[in-house]
Amino acid sequence: MRYKKITPDNSVFVILSFEGPDLYSQAGGLGFRVTELSEALAKKGFETHVIFVGDPYKPAVETLNQKRLILHRWSQWISKYYPLGVYQGEEEKLYDYNESVPYFVLDEIARPAVKEKKKLVVLAEEWHTAECVMRLSDLLHYFGLRDKAVIFWNANHTMSFDRINWGRLAFVATLTTVSRFMKHYMWDMGLNPIVIPNGVPDRMFQGVDSEKVARFREVFESDFLLLKVGRMDPNKRWNMAMDAVAELKRRGSKVNFLIRPGREPYGGEVIYNAERNGLYVYNLNLSKPTFEELLEALQEARDADVLTLNFVVEDEYLRIFYYGCDAVLANSGMEPFGLVGLEVMACGGVVFTGCTGEEYAIPYQNAIVLETADPVEIVNNLYYLKSEPAVGQKIRREAKIAAKRYAWGQVVDNLLRKIEYAAIMQKSDMED
Amino acid sequence: MVQEVAIYLVVHQPRRIKLPAQPIPQGVSAEDMEKCLFDERLNQRYFDKVTRYCYIPATDKFLELVEKGMKISISFSVSFLQQAMKWGERDVLPRFRKLVAHPNVELIGMEPYHSFIFLWDIDMFVKRMEWARNYLAQLLGKEPTVSDTTEMYLSNDVYFALQKAGFEATFMDGRPWVLGWREATHLYNYSQSRLKILIRHHSLSDDVGYRFSNRQWCHYPLTADTYVTWIQQTRGDFVFLGWDYETFGEHHSVYSGIFDFLEWLPVELKKREVSLATPSQLVQKYAPTAYDLPLPEFGSTWAGSGGMEFFLGNSAQQAILRLMMSVYNKAKLTGNEKLVDIALWLAQSDNLHLIQWYGRGGGSEAEVSQYFTPQEWFQLSPDGIIWHQQQVYKNAIRAMDYYMRP
Repeated sequence: MRYKKITPDNSVFVILSFEGPDLYSQAGGLGFRVTELSEALAKKGFETHVIFVGDPYKPAVETLNQKRLILHRWSQWISKYYPLGVYQGEEEKLYDYNESVPYFVLDEIARPAVKEKKKLVVLAEEWHTAECVMRLSDLLHYFGLRDKAVIFWNANHTMSFDRINWGRLAFVATLTTVSRFMKHYMWDMGLNPIVIPNGVPDRMFQGVDSEKVARFREVFESDFLLLKVGRMDPNKRWNMAMDAVAELKRRGSKVNFLIRPGREPYGGEVIYNAERNGLYVYNLNLSKPTFEELLEALQEARDADVLTLNFVVEDEYLRIFYYGCDAVLANSGMEPFGLVGLEVMACGGVVFTGCTGEEYAIPYQNAIVLETADPVEIVNNLYYLKSEPAVGQKIRREAKIAAKRYAWGQVVDNLLRKIEYAAIMQKSDMED
Repeated sequence: MVQEVAIYLVVHQPRRIKLPAQPIPQGVSAEDMEKCLFDERLNQRYFDKVTRYCYIPATDKFLELVEKGMKISISFSVSFLQQAMKWGERDVLPRFRKLVAHPNVELIGMEPYHSFIFLWDIDMFVKRMEWARNYLAQLLGKEPTVSDTTEMYLSNDVYFALQKAGFEATFMDGRPWVLGWREATHLYNYSQSRLKILIRHHSLSDDVGYRFSNRQWCHYPLTADTYVTWIQQTRGDFVFLGWDYETFGEHHSVYSGIFDFLEWLPVELKKREVSLATPSQLVQKYAPTAYDLPLPEFGSTWAGSGGMEFFLGNSAQQAILRLMMSVYNKAKLTGNEKLVDIALWLAQSDNLHLIQWYGRGGGSEAEVSQYFTPQEWFQLSPDGIIWHQQQVYKNAIRAMDYYMRP
């Protein structure tokens, strides 16, 4: 048997996902994953289609990256009734996606690809696409094209696992997931997914403007400058982080805790608990601020214990924050992968991760890995780093090295090798 | 013994609802609401199938026969016509236009959406019948003076509604429970009123409509000469036969010999000196001697055992009827004409016809119902079909909440 390689000449990619590149379509890590993965594939020369629940007021089809990346904004006729984002009107969009995407992929992508003697590679993300993938596989099978396709379905999270027909899905697709932690989780369900980790975009390694970092640091005269970014979800352990800040304050340390939360209703409980613990929470409402405006606003709010960044924080500022803070608290109780943690590491920041899917983090080597939900564990480690600055410096250095192993280019190479294996497993007829 | 025969054909395709039920976005426009409620892809699939097996070959055959002198009458639901405009503009609609234009063909009126609206809004029914007459006149170039109703429903109130809508005559199925001692082979009217009633000969019609390809039937295979012998031996003035148009090629496939039967029917009738007439010609001829027929307050239909049992005989059908009325009432409350139109589509009788089999052990009526139920639905399971069908109506009612806001 000869080795048959996936190349741009013999393959066309389709990424199926609710989340995608539009701001409207981003609710968590999945949107970034899809954006970066599709761009990385297109950069490697693959024709890549992304079918996602896009902004209803953007073009239905958009071609980027020398016509290799084709964005298909799906369910726009429904999204126009749901301005709050990708998951508003979720059930309505799900129905539409399941009903229409399989036929579209069959007629508009699979058939032309097969005509050009190319293989269809389908990468489907999250529970929302599970039914769609099953229907697509059935359709391809019905029309005699199933052996011209390789289908992957990826679990980024355990959300709505109860809504998936696993027997059927595992039969039609190669299951993948983002970490060995998730693999073990799914083993308990009688499944054996292939691990393809998330990646970090190259721009995260660009380094940060040290002058801007210094000016950002100068704003605060605190003992500890902390940051937390994430959805307002109990799994993210927001209360643990707030309790740690309150504990530091009780011990007489001055803390500034910047938070960039999601808009989920659980946030109300978190802020209530923070205020009850004596923390002064200040909302920073800005709209596309320049760096000067941002610093000015932070200056005005620096007496607050908790500063809520209620605006879209641009990538550049985020990297400055990641690097400039004493620690970024990515202290999730359950994290399938933990993209934020890896991004902080790529920027040379100090991240406190949980200890589930964040398998890139090695305690005291390139990150602080928290083993419990006890806020004192955070407090203790912050005082430790304060007392041992050399450890912090080493963590920052090692973090960058570790994160580089997860650059999207590397991840895609990993992915391609696994597609080649899956093609054999799915008895997909690969052109030489 | 009868000297004349009239043949009536009903062309109809339902506008099938979308199952599983599609959730409807809040604040949705009426046009987008329609997208969620009706399965146009499924409708096209069935339309294309029936076009291939029936609409093209049967219409070609009828065109040939009327040219040779055969007389027929034909009605179209707007439900069918709109599908024909969408998916049969090149091959189906021109054929039917040509057929209707022929002097030997009488165009008959019909409740446009094949709905049961007359059960709960008789005024609207009158308006709809008037609208349908104009619609048919504009689209097909002939204005009907005789009208059928959905599933040949006739009751006391619907009789007067049709008269009010300006029609000259209507049809009723000749069931013993309505006719009593009377014969189906005469022209009738009710309470000395103007509107005449032609009675469809139930058993002779069903010999072709239902039994023709039944190999277990003692008269199988039925030939035109045997059939015409039966007609000839029938007592009365005339025999009025009513069939689904889809009888020819779809309900009975080409391999059943139905087209040969059709071809030989006028030949055999001529041989036995039984002439063919249109309903209007029969009305004109027999009006002076029309007999009085007491009409049922509980309407009769041509389906099942001849009443509404076929449509309202099980609890699932009764639930859908209530939902049909609720969605219609809600649409009326909004004052939005497009929503009322959607509610009228949802009042289509087929939505009751398609679930007659539910909860029954089987039997010939359930087999008929099941035959018309889209096979694609059965992957939902029988209970699933019922649940999702009700959900379609509930979704529509809730989606109209937005239009009730001040």
